[in-house]
Amino acid sequence: MIKIEGISKEFNEGIRAKRVKALDDLTLQVPKGEVFGFLGPNGAGKSTAIKILVNLIRADQGEASIMDRDVNDTGVRKHVGYLPENPYFYDYLTAEELLWFGGKTTGLSSLAIKQRTDELLRQVNLQSARKRQLRTYSKGMVQRAGLALSLIHDPDVAILDEPMSGLDPLGRKMVGDIILELKARGKTIFFSSHILTDVERFCDRVGIIVAGKLRLVDRLDNLLIGNASLEDVFLQEVDKAGGAMEI
Amino acid sequence: MTTLWPIALITFKEGIRNRALYGITLLALLLLIANFLISGLFMQEIGKVAVDIALSAVSLSGLLLVLFVGINLMEKDLDKKTIYMVLSRPISRSQYIVGKFLGMALLIIITMVFLSMCAMLSIQLIKMAYPTYFQRFSWPMVLLALSFSTLTMILLSALAFLFASFTSTSFITLVLTVIAYIIGQSLSDVKALVEAPQVVGIQVSAITVKLVQIAYYLFPNLSIFDIKTHAAHALPLSLSYIFWTVIYGLVYTALAVTGAAVIFRRREFP
Repeated sequence: MIKIEGISKEFNEGIRAKRVKALDDLTLQVPKGEVFGFLGPNGAGKSTAIKILVNLIRADQGEASIMDRDVNDTGVRKHVGYLPENPYFYDYLTAEELLWFGGKTTGLSSLAIKQRTDELLRQVNLQSARKRQLRTYSKGMVQRAGLALSLIHDPDVAILDEPMSGLDPLGRKMVGDIILELKARGKTIFFSSHILTDVERFCDRVGIIVAGKLRLVDRLDNLLIGNASLEDVFLQEVDKAGGAMEI
Repeated sequence: MTTLWPIALITFKEGIRNRALYGITLLALLLLIANFLISGLFMQEIGKVAVDIALSAVSLSGLLLVLFVGINLMEKDLDKKTIYMVLSRPISRSQYIVGKFLGMALLIIITMVFLSMCAMLSIQLIKMAYPTYFQRFSWPMVLLALSFSTLTMILLSALAFLFASFTSTSFITLVLTVIAYIIGQSLSDVKALVEAPQVVGIQVSAITVKLVQIAYYLFPNLSIFDIKTHAAHALPLSLSYIFWTVIYGLVYTALAVTGAAVIFRRREFP
C-alpha cells in the first residue's frame, strides 16, 4: 500500500548553505490495513518522510508510492488523508467551509460532503463550533478540525503526523477511537507520534528512525517480549545510534 | 475547474473577511466623503477635481488591497504552512497558483465594484450640487477609468504572485511589487526622456538608454491604464486604444500567472 524505496533527502541549512542529511536511504513498506507507528526523536526525519509521501517535498534519491502510484501523481491523493504536525488553517474560514473545501477538491458531491461533515464533526466533537471561524478555535480544536479534514473523503490511507499533539486526554482518546475505527474498516494508517503509550495501543508494527536512518522495523508483539516496554526499545535504539541527534 | 473553484472560493472568503479590507474600504469611503469638501474648496473646475479625487481614491484603495491583503493571502499560506492542507489534496502546484489567483481577482473585482459605486455616488452628489461645472462630463469615461483601474490591480496582483513564487518572505514580495508598480507607472515617461534627452538639455549614456528600453519591455506599462485625465476632462479615447489596452493587461496577467505557476512547480515546502 505504502512503499518507500531507498529515499534520501538533504537540506541546505544556514547562510553558508551547509548540507544536512534529513533522510538516508530509507526503505519501508506498509501493507494494506496495517497501522504503522513511525517513531523517532525530534529532528530524526519523520516529518520529512511524511512530507515526501504527500509530495510537499521531493526526494533527492529513491522512490515512494502509495497504492502502486508514484507520490508525484496528483491523483493518488484522492485516496490519501494527511494531517500535518501542528496544522494551521485559514483563519477566517469555518470548520464547515474547511470540510467543504476538502470534499470538493476530492470530488465529493454536495450531499456527500454534508453527510460526511455531520458525521465527522460529531466524531471530533466540533458540532457546536461548526459555524465558528477557525481563528477562534483552541489548538486542540484546530487539531481535531484538521483530523476531520484529512478524513472527509474517507481515504484508504491516512497519514497522520503527530495526531495527538496539543490534545487533552479526552481529545487523545477521541483520536485513538477514530484510529481504531479506521483500522476496523481496513484502512491503512501511517502515523508518527511521541506518545509511546498511544503507539503501543494502536500499532501493528513500528519503525524507529534516528538521524535520518531507519534503525528498526518490527511487529509490536515481537518487540514487547517479556517485560520490555516500547519506551525501553525506543531508548535502546536511540542510544545505539549515538543519542537523539538534532538535524 | 472542479479543482480551481474551491481554491478560488476559499481565497475569496479568506480575503473578504480580512479586517484589513474593512480598513481599506473605510479609508476609501472617507476619501470619497472628503471629496465633497475638497471639491467645494475649488472655485473652478469642480467637476474635474471631483472626478480626479474619486478615481484616485479608488486607485489608492485598490493598490492597498493588492499590497496588504493580496500579498498576505499568498504569503500566509507559505509562512503559516496552510499550503500543506491545500497541496495534500489532489491539487497540483500550478492549479494552486491559478486557483489562488482567480480568488484574488474575484476579491479585487468585487471590492473595486463596490468602491466604484461609492465613487460614482460621490461624483453624482457633487454634480447635483454644482451642475454648471459638469458641462463636459462623461459617465462612460468614468466607468472606463474605473474598469482600467481594476485591470491594473489584477495585473499587479499577478505580478505579486510571480514574485511570491520565488521569494521566501512577504516583505520581499511587497518591496518587489511596489518597485514594479512605481516602474510601471513611470516607465513610459522615463523612456521618452532618455530617448530624446536633448529636449530637456541633458545627456544620457547609451547603456542607460538600453537598460530603460529593456525595462520597458520587461515591466508592465501601467501608465496606459491611467486615464483619469481623460475621464476628468471627458476626452474621448479610440476604441482600438481601449481594445489593445485590455488585451495588453490580460496577456501580461496571464504571462505573469503562468510564470508563477512554472516556478512554483519546482518549489518544496519543508
